[in-house]
Amino acid sequence: MINSSIKQDIIPIAFLTIIVCVSVIFLYTTNSVTEEYIEESKNEAVQAMLNKQFPEMDDYSYDEELDLYTVFLDGNNIGFAFVAVASGYGGPIELIISLESSLLFDDEITIHGLSVVSHSETPGLGEKIVEASFSDQFTGVLVDDVALTKDGGSIDAITGATVSSSAVVETVFTTVTEKARIIRESVAVETEGGT
Amino acid sequence: MSETINILKNGLIKSNPVLTLLLGLCPTLAVSTSIDNAFGMTAAVLFVLISSNIIVSLIRTYTPQRVRIPVFIVIIATLVTIVDLTMQAFLPSLSKSLGIFIPLIVVNCIILGRAEAFASKNKVPNAIVDALGMGIGFGIAITIISFLRQMLGTGSLSVFGNELVRVPGLSDNPMPIFILPMGAFLVISMLLATLRYTGVIKSG
Repeated sequence: MINSSIKQDIIPIAFLTIIVCVSVIFLYTTNSVTEEYIEESKNEAVQAMLNKQFPEMDDYSYDEELDLYTVFLDGNNIGFAFVAVASGYGGPIELIISLESSLLFDDEITIHGLSVVSHSETPGLGEKIVEASFSDQFTGVLVDDVALTKDGGSIDAITGATVSSSAVVETVFTTVTEKARIIRESVAVETEGGT
Repeated sequence: MSETINILKNGLIKSNPVLTLLLGLCPTLAVSTSIDNAFGMTAAVLFVLISSNIIVSLIRTYTPQRVRIPVFIVIIATLVTIVDLTMQAFLPSLSKSLGIFIPLIVVNCIILGRAEAFASKNKVPNAIVDALGMGIGFGIAITIISFLRQMLGTGSLSVFGNELVRVPGLSDNPMPIFILPMGAFLVISMLLATLRYTGVIKSG
């Protein structure tokens, strides 16, 4: 009697354990096969993103601590790029913002370019943030001029999509100011340590 | 042979998971914004459904009744994770546009429903046929909805980057509401009403 009730309890547990073990083996195998391809496709995506901003680049490095890509041509630093997230009308807007390397020796911060990685804005309205007519407005602009024209800046908002436009503009302004400060600080520390 | 055809027909029309049973509506409504998404989702669901039906049917005589649901869930979750990782590795753009809805196939009631209601009580060949019928039934439904939403919402139809049709007039003034979540509800409700009114699907 006791024996059979133990048996009744143990069999289901043992069965489920076996199923989970088999499942773990399968998942481990799949993961080790696909891992390298997933890594590769992520790297390709980053490379493509940076290439869009700096078509002439030949190399880049990524600083995990600063969350910053530094772009090189023939070993010379030609600019910086980073990912920023704006909160748009329909959800987060993921942006890639790139900066001219001149911010290292110049007081002014010039934006090199901007592109939208992903978004969920309204089709036909806010969606236009991905169009060149909007994002090209940021190219070559000083960070202090990044504001909508109605606020005295140099960026024209998209008709019917003020929320999306100002979300992008505000995020560009705050993240660029912040990133430039961090870049300058880290360079200052480096040169101090070097001398 | 007629039994096979009956099982197949059951999934396609009589008990079409989306159009008759109204199961799996969450992914159907959420990812049906383009035909590409519909095909990708159908392929993923078909693979998981067929594999889970086969495995559940194979182990049906050994599975203790008390733990059958956890066992099914572990099997389905394993299969879905395999699909998810494979897609991320080889089809990164599709994986990005389907997003969270691939992992969510784990809790798709069509798959668990077929494991519990059919595969755990039937032989392997019948379980495969049932999975095919249900999977293709799901595919037909999501493809029709995607087709209508993409046509009305963008005014053109493109599959895997090739533009097939461009509706004159509509492509200049599309109705983006059909791409939005609300459009999904409008399309599916009108589709169901039409199918019931014309008697393609019998209610009750």
